[in-house]
Amino acid sequence: MDSLIFYFLSSVLIFSALRVVTHKNPVYGALYLACALVALAGIFFLLEAHFIAGVQLVVYAGAVIVLFVMVLMLFDLKAEKQLWKISPFRWASVAFVAGLTLGVTLLEGLLGSSSIGDLGFFSAKHIARLLFTKYVLAFEVLGVLLILIAVGVVALTRLEREDD
Amino acid sequence: MGQDTMETLINGTKILVIFLSMGSLVPFLVWAERRTLALMQSRLGPNRTGPLGLLQILADLVKPLMKEDFAGQATHKGLFYLAPLLAIIPPALVFGAIPFSHPLILPSFEFLGYAFGPYTFYFQGFNLNVGVVFALGVSSLSAYALLIAGWSSGNKYSLLGALRAAAQTISYELALSLALVGLILVFNTLDFLEMVKIQSGPLTFSFFGSEKTIPFLPGWGIFYQPVGAFLLFISFLAESNRVPFDLPEAEGELVAGYHTEYGGIKLILFYIGEYAHIMVASALMVTFYFGGYTFYPFLTEDSLNGLFQARMGEWAGLLTSLALFITFLVKFFLFLFVFMWIRATLPRFRYDQLMDLGWKTLLPWAFGNAVVTAVVIFIFDFFKRGSFFG
Repeated sequence: MDSLIFYFLSSVLIFSALRVVTHKNPVYGALYLACALVALAGIFFLLEAHFIAGVQLVVYAGAVIVLFVMVLMLFDLKAEKQLWKISPFRWASVAFVAGLTLGVTLLEGLLGSSSIGDLGFFSAKHIARLLFTKYVLAFEVLGVLLILIAVGVVALTRLEREDD
Repeated sequence: MGQDTMETLINGTKILVIFLSMGSLVPFLVWAERRTLALMQSRLGPNRTGPLGLLQILADLVKPLMKEDFAGQATHKGLFYLAPLLAIIPPALVFGAIPFSHPLILPSFEFLGYAFGPYTFYFQGFNLNVGVVFALGVSSLSAYALLIAGWSSGNKYSLLGALRAAAQTISYELALSLALVGLILVFNTLDFLEMVKIQSGPLTFSFFGSEKTIPFLPGWGIFYQPVGAFLLFISFLAESNRVPFDLPEAEGELVAGYHTEYGGIKLILFYIGEYAHIMVASALMVTFYFGGYTFYPFLTEDSLNGLFQARMGEWAGLLTSLALFITFLVKFFLFLFVFMWIRATLPRFRYDQLMDLGWKTLLPWAFGNAVVTAVVIFIFDFFKRGSFFG
């Protein structure tokens, strides 16, 4: 039963990840990305890593991609669609993803199959302890980096406005 | 899923029953809402069709079902039909994770020559050890339904309505999650069942190293986190797009918001989603702040089990669970009534007032609440243990 659900989720994941780069309409691409992330959260649930799955839903599928979708829906995307029709990037991107998948599969075959097994020990408490003791520096640096990005984006938009 | 066919079957049926009962409760809620509003506005409300106007529900449902299934020419067909479904899936999933009663523990028994059990049946669709994170995560997906509906309609009014609705949902989600942090810190768990278990005892405070117990009050979350409860309730109101936060369908400005192009059964699905949001909000408020399915000191698992054990013997477990289920339902319907009451009382916000309330009032208060709670817990823990970092 579990492996049945796993194969279903992973085929959804791979299909929608492929469609992210091959669909001509960016809005559909973003929606497929959301679909892929939800499928990934499902796989985390299957591995008993409930907390990671929940956080995956809250942060990526629920917040980041919603903003992507919202912004993309506001744009006039005719030029992008036109570009996509004649662009060689379309097939290049398919080839890239296919090559990546093949590479990972081959690597897996070369190194011998490794099993992630039970991720149940990644409870909220365990993750919190790791984040605030062992990886506290990396954690804080990442936080600063995120603030830096936000400030940088605001600064860039302000600069452009002054040029007008 | 289950250790044998019997358990799998029952667990599967359970999920189906919860989902279907959620769906079929909606018409009754619509009827109850119209009657309540009428009562509060000194009107009669629907009272012609059938006893107490109950058949009005049927009439209201049959009409959209008979309508033509129509999608405009400019719509993106696939997404247009997907959006109404997406609107009901997240609340349904959250509803399935909420415990409605104490888990039923069945000892092993023999039936038709086969040995069964022992089983533990949870009165919830599925039991997760991080129910709170799951509920937040899944309900944050509901913004997609609004966005997809608005965009795929191929209509500018729909798109504007969808952007409004999604911006509102996303803004209040932050306040919602932050308001919950204080409660999670107090109860020190992310599990719904454990939260209810803590709330089934008397009110206990840790005060500068000494434990104070107030025996006549239940240990409900609202006594620990009154500010958090208030903030969470407002956020839930805004998340479910109800009065006074029903700007997404402000008729005067946006025709009808993101579902302008929808009609018939597809529109009904959106309404079911909206009412499902209210149901989820009521059930979560009860579970977080009002003792879940228990009511100390009368209706708790221990007291009921003792009572039924003496009178009924082996049926005690089942009767306890049923009595606690009824307790939960009473609280649940009380909260649904509060939602209707608010609808009859308050006028609608203006859009800038809505955003100000979300970002400049609720968010700082929720953040302050979380920080103060953390500091207080830290200090009292220090007095209890005699050292930092126990």
